Amino acid sequence: MSSTIFFSTLYASLVLCALGLVWRVSAWFRLRIGPDARDVASSQRVAAVFRGAASALFGSRALRLLGALFLDVLLLRKLFASEKLRWFGHLLVMVGFTLLLLMHALAPLVSAKLFPGYQPTLDPYLFLRDLSGAMVLVGVALLLFRRRADFPQPRRLIDWAFVTLLLIVVATGFVFEAYKIASPRAFYRMTEQFIGSTDRKELEPLRAVWASEFGVAFDDLKQPVDPALLQQGRKLQQDSCASCHSKPTSAFVSYPVARALAPVERMLDAGRANEWLLYLHVFACFLGLASLPFTRFFHVVAAPVSLLVNAAAQNRAFSTAGRASQRALALDACVRCGICDARCSVAPVARYLENAYLLPSHKLVATGALAGGRLLRPGRENDASPDDTHRDEARRVAEGAYLCTDCGRCTSRCPVGLDLADLWRAGRDDLAAVGLPPPEQWVQARSALAWAESLEAGSGQHPLADADAAFAPLSADRRSFSRCVQCQACTNVCPVVAHSIDAEHGIDLTPQKVMNLLRLGLRDLTLGSRMVWDCASCYQCQENCPEGVRVADIMLELRALSVHRLGALRGRREPA
Amino acid sequence: MTGVRQARCDVAVIGAGMAGMAAALFAVERGLSCIQVGNSGGLLFASGLLDLLGVQPVADGRLWQSPYEALAALAREEPDHPLARVDARSIRSAFERFVAALGGAGLRYVSLGERNRKVLTSIGTIKTTFGVPLSMVAGVDALETRPPCLLVDFRGLREFSAVQIAATLGERWPGLRHERIEFPGCEALPELYAAHLARALEAGETRARAIALVKPLLGEARAVGFPAVLGLARSSEVHAAFEAGLGVPVFEIPTMPTSVPGLRLSGALEAVMSARGVRRHHQATVRGLAFDGGGGTATLDLEGISGGERVSARAVVLATGRFSGRGLVADREGVRESILGLPVLQPDSREAWHQRDFLDPSGHGINRAGLRVDDAWRPLGADGRPAWPRLYAVGSILARQDWMRSKCGSGLAIATSWAAIEQVARELRAAAAG
Repeated sequence: MSSTIFFSTLYASLVLCALGLVWRVSAWFRLRIGPDARDVASSQRVAAVFRGAASALFGSRALRLLGALFLDVLLLRKLFASEKLRWFGHLLVMVGFTLLLLMHALAPLVSAKLFPGYQPTLDPYLFLRDLSGAMVLVGVALLLFRRRADFPQPRRLIDWAFVTLLLIVVATGFVFEAYKIASPRAFYRMTEQFIGSTDRKELEPLRAVWASEFGVAFDDLKQPVDPALLQQGRKLQQDSCASCHSKPTSAFVSYPVARALAPVERMLDAGRANEWLLYLHVFACFLGLASLPFTRFFHVVAAPVSLLVNAAAQNRAFSTAGRASQRALALDACVRCGICDARCSVAPVARYLENAYLLPSHKLVATGALAGGRLLRPGRENDASPDDTHRDEARRVAEGAYLCTDCGRCTSRCPVGLDLADLWRAGRDDLAAVGLPPPEQWVQARSALAWAESLEAGSGQHPLADADAAFAPLSADRRSFSRCVQCQACTNVCPVVAHSIDAEHGIDLTPQKVMNLLRLGLRDLTLGSRMVWDCASCYQCQENCPEGVRVADIMLELRALSVHRLGALRGRREPA
Repeated sequence: MTGVRQARCDVAVIGAGMAGMAAALFAVERGLSCIQVGNSGGLLFASGLLDLLGVQPVADGRLWQSPYEALAALAREEPDHPLARVDARSIRSAFERFVAALGGAGLRYVSLGERNRKVLTSIGTIKTTFGVPLSMVAGVDALETRPPCLLVDFRGLREFSAVQIAATLGERWPGLRHERIEFPGCEALPELYAAHLARALEAGETRARAIALVKPLLGEARAVGFPAVLGLARSSEVHAAFEAGLGVPVFEIPTMPTSVPGLRLSGALEAVMSARGVRRHHQATVRGLAFDGGGGTATLDLEGISGGERVSARAVVLATGRFSGRGLVADREGVRESILGLPVLQPDSREAWHQRDFLDPSGHGINRAGLRVDDAWRPLGADGRPAWPRLYAVGSILARQDWMRSKCGSGLAIATSWAAIEQVARELRAAAAG
């Protein structure tokens, strides 16, 4: 390979990678999520990071940082706690890739300096290279296998391309090595260089040994091999080759591939496979390097930074400037693993509403899009000529954001330790700023009765239509509330009723009245009610109900149902 | 969310009403490990008053001054009545232990003694009962001597009317006055709920404002009655503060169910259970109950806990109650026991379930339906023998009693639980020795 081509592409890739990194990292200081972030200049945010880093590195917290580097970043402690199989796959990819990068790609700078007598064709390096490659392959396979099917993240083409590049790099690495093991052309190049001969007759003993014990695919070797010739060849091999060549059988992936390639080896030699395989391998590496900052695999940079920042903060509250940067960083540090989605309290609601934006990993992407102005700009909601697709999408994002119960499970299970709860709060404030206020604001702008009348006028649909059975299984099924005896136990234990100040601002229906309306088939009357919307989900009603009615579950369901149905009503244009 | 959790215990109590709570309490007091399954919401229907036996025989409506004399009459006239099958000494011990446990959890009762007491109800009628919470006892005394007395109610609390009580009793109690006040801090609310007032009065400031509102209204009154809203978990403290603030005895009048005294009772019993190490499965129901052939262990499959739980128990106590507790289920075919389908003693046909007159003083046949048990409180199977060697039944699910008309609900729950747990302990000891 011409070194001009090699280095020019390498430097071009490095420049692209560096530009990409600068662009991505600068977003941590540029992107504004949450109203408090709008008051802080980017320069203040940069300064805050430097101050924080300095005090962490040169203070008593340095040791803690070191611990976090080892446990959180290198050993992925949090992922281990959440999901063992994924942790194993991720660790395989990480260790395998790092070994390949340092020991193989950067061999002249690392391996050759650290290990005197380093030769890529000697054990243990020969074995380790194959082992590392195999670790990456097995790891990627495990991670692909662990991908979740429910509401999968939409993957961008560039992310798939990056995974494909990674697989191409490893695969061409194995094939290139296999080709070289089996290549007679490579054999003669070496004998010419180190023995000064390419004469077949003269090299016959050595050829015999390399063919039978080193896997070179000579097609002109006399069979069966004379044992005396082999004996002679072994001595020659010992003198001329052994200092640089271990038996390739320790390359436990490449060697079997070499054996498989043997029948076509002459063709490969003739087709100058040594050149194009190498080009493929190296260019795939460079392309990967250049594209990394533009893919979601940028998390290899962002996630460790986020983990270290959290460790440095040591449970202390961030400054406004720090928090603003932390939120932007979280967008990049999220690895889209979906562990949060699987644990999300409102995942069932997401399924009913067919709205993935209720799920944390999707909500995170949407929060980023909103902050980056890709979803809606402030004021856009009320434009005279609104972009309907964007507005509908933004409404779905808002629905997801506001139906979150703030239970905090996503934050507690995040393997990167992101403060998702804070991100959701900030995101909701941003939604309100672009004209998408929390649903209780627009729901409570009208009375429950007014909403029910609109529903009746708007649809003519029976309050308990069959279509609702799958969507709202509790409130559509009489068995779930028909046992209510109106004893008032729920109302008596309800803290929301207890804190109702007066008739005007207090709740309009008590829990037992909501149950009674359901019994009377007047569910639409409950949808816009304050009781449904002010319910604190404390479950006191449900725990104390003598008849075992799932009062709190029904309230949550009515809330989801009301966003769905009243929201549809609200979107409809009023006749002029 | 994966897999079924496993647990084992000596006694599994199914049901968390008065009988289930008593059974669980007596089991742990005898050193048996206990798992209890069921929602205690039914306790909210309780008035806080503990009946033992007030009426015998039901058809005559005869009220008894002494519950123990009533029990003796019951034993003579209805020897098959479950309460007649527990001796008086056991009943005394059972009530003492039960009331002591409640007292330990902050719900204090006046000492039991040998006599029934008369308590004023929220509609002005008079109820005969046995165990009276300390916060209500001044009302018992006032009802006996009828001194000048003030009844106070709160505007917006629909379930309690001092006017009505005074109107009902006025002729027989000339010094009985009534006043209505605004509950402090709730002036703007159209409707009030007892439990919220009870919780509000636990705050010193609200309490002081309420006392200040009542004080000028006292006049000649030698006692003051309130609806039962004087505190929830800290009712003793709130009651004492009202007496100190007003300078006269203060008593509560039980309100309509579900009432604050019911909440206090369920709260106190929940606290007792957790303090004594009873493992409670509050939100769970029993989906399956199976016994091994040799009478060794029972297996309960619980539902309602994420992933479910399988409980192995050496003995099982059914305290599932009657129709509202869903221990018994009635349909066109008749009455069934809900978990195992045990045979239920019941009238021969649906026509015989009820009398022609709904208010017939002798009650209805369906009220006396229930499980038959042997001398060791084990429900009988279709063959007339115990359904399983260590399956027991207690409380209102038992046949041949009409606890509402006899005024013996708590007595039935507490006494039969005591007696059945005594049998459980004896059986398990014998099994361990043998």
